[in-house]
Amino acid sequence: MWGPNEGSLVKRLLGVALGVLTAIGGFVDIGDLVTNAVVGSRFGLSLVWVVAIGVLGIILFANMSGRVAAVSGRATFEVIRERLGPRAGLANLSASFLINLMTVTAEIGGIALSLQLASSVYYLLWIPVAALAVWLVIWRVRFSIMENVTGLLGLTLIIFAVALFLLKPDWGSLAGQLTPAVPQQETVWTYSYYAIALFGAAMTPYEVFFFSSGAVEEGWTAKDLGQSRINVLVGFPLGGLLSVSIAACAAVVLLPAGISVTSLSQVVLPVAEGAGKLGLAFVLVGMAAATFGAALETTLSSGYTLAQFFGWSWGKFRRPAEAARFHLSMIVCLLVGIAVLATGVDPVLVTEYSVVFSAIALPLTYLPILIVANDPQYMREHVNGSAVNVLGMVYLVIILLASIAAIPLMIATGAGS
Amino acid sequence: MILGDLLGTPVFDADGGRLGRVADARFVLEGAPHQLMVEARLLGLVVGPHSASSFMGYERNGLTHPRLLARILRWRHRGSFLVLWEDVAAVGTGSVRLRPGYTRYSTALVGPGKA
Repeated sequence: MWGPNEGSLVKRLLGVALGVLTAIGGFVDIGDLVTNAVVGSRFGLSLVWVVAIGVLGIILFANMSGRVAAVSGRATFEVIRERLGPRAGLANLSASFLINLMTVTAEIGGIALSLQLASSVYYLLWIPVAALAVWLVIWRVRFSIMENVTGLLGLTLIIFAVALFLLKPDWGSLAGQLTPAVPQQETVWTYSYYAIALFGAAMTPYEVFFFSSGAVEEGWTAKDLGQSRINVLVGFPLGGLLSVSIAACAAVVLLPAGISVTSLSQVVLPVAEGAGKLGLAFVLVGMAAATFGAALETTLSSGYTLAQFFGWSWGKFRRPAEAARFHLSMIVCLLVGIAVLATGVDPVLVTEYSVVFSAIALPLTYLPILIVANDPQYMREHVNGSAVNVLGMVYLVIILLASIAAIPLMIATGAGS
Repeated sequence: MILGDLLGTPVFDADGGRLGRVADARFVLEGAPHQLMVEARLLGLVVGPHSASSFMGYERNGLTHPRLLARILRWRHRGSFLVLWEDVAAVGTGSVRLRPGYTRYSTALVGPGKA
């Protein structure tokens, strides 16, 4: 995702542009696609404020974990395990690993569903193909190529924004939906439940583990902090806008028609209506690329967190034989994902649950990151500034509230139905 | 004995009064040099009257940020103290007993600690 920082000015500018573009293209995953479309089709744009809070949060913590990795040369999770000890590390690991496994499953299902939409071949047949492709890329393809290709292809999802313009919505009434308010046909409980789901989708824990491990894969040093900051500060908000345009498309086409999204074909429906066949082609490529990219990231994150907790050698920069347990654990995770999907469980449902469970696990992920980013033993002069710490603490409170409220709301609303 | 089994074990003074639980163990590196490190010697146990949970690194008094977090963690571990291994009379299953007249040392580590 982030090229090396040497060479001429042009090369550096290109590097920055590439970094930002892949950050945008890599931002959206199956969780964002499904949750934003569901929310758009049921609540219009009245939950956009949650996306804004979520994007600011992921910027804050991704930046922090990238900084820990660049300065200490160690992935965030390694530092957490070392600094906070095995007990706190294990709590963190089990929470984030299980959510991550669920997300892997959802992403593979997402690839298969996208391929079904493109080919009309039943998605269950695509699942082994998708998982095999994910494994092959992890096994063979260089980290930077993997990140850049999926990130750039994922950019085709901008078609959601294009389609929104082509749909010629009444911009005034669309903007009017932006104020937080519960729509008439919904209750305050379902509204809150989907607020948490949307928050969990934007702040999925794997992103920070992947971000910091990726920094180690690419050999960042303190010199690369500027570039990484630009990637995050520019790329993530634009990725967030992409999420909002998915919701807006659903709000314009599906909400008035009374269709609430339960499948991926409904997610792309507004694009087909607004941008026609060509738009449909773009969105299918974009969804396949985005879910494929996210499947790579989540699968790698499973390997990263396990290997970093148990002290195995890890990383794509090593040959697979030199990081055997790292690669083996990822193969096992992919097989578990296939097995879960083979039961015929709806991948969209898995996705909806995974984003809510992400929200539940968030405090265990983000509290340790905040602590190690303040440790001068690792960070030297690059410890958090006080503004970042204040924001970090505010977010911890938000995350904690969302985490506590998630399960009761899930029960009270019957998972939002 | 496995150190992990010792963590969380109740600690009693010589008269049987409960002092808290084992929250941590402190080692000093001062033994014979080995391939990676010098040999570690067990200096003593950290006893926490309120919590046997991790200090999360905030036992080092150079760590003060984020302020609220540091304050909460220090409050959780208020009254905790270090007893030297020489002051430990017996380590049984499920309890640790200290010698009469044991000394309470501060658990704070000076500065941010060295890498």
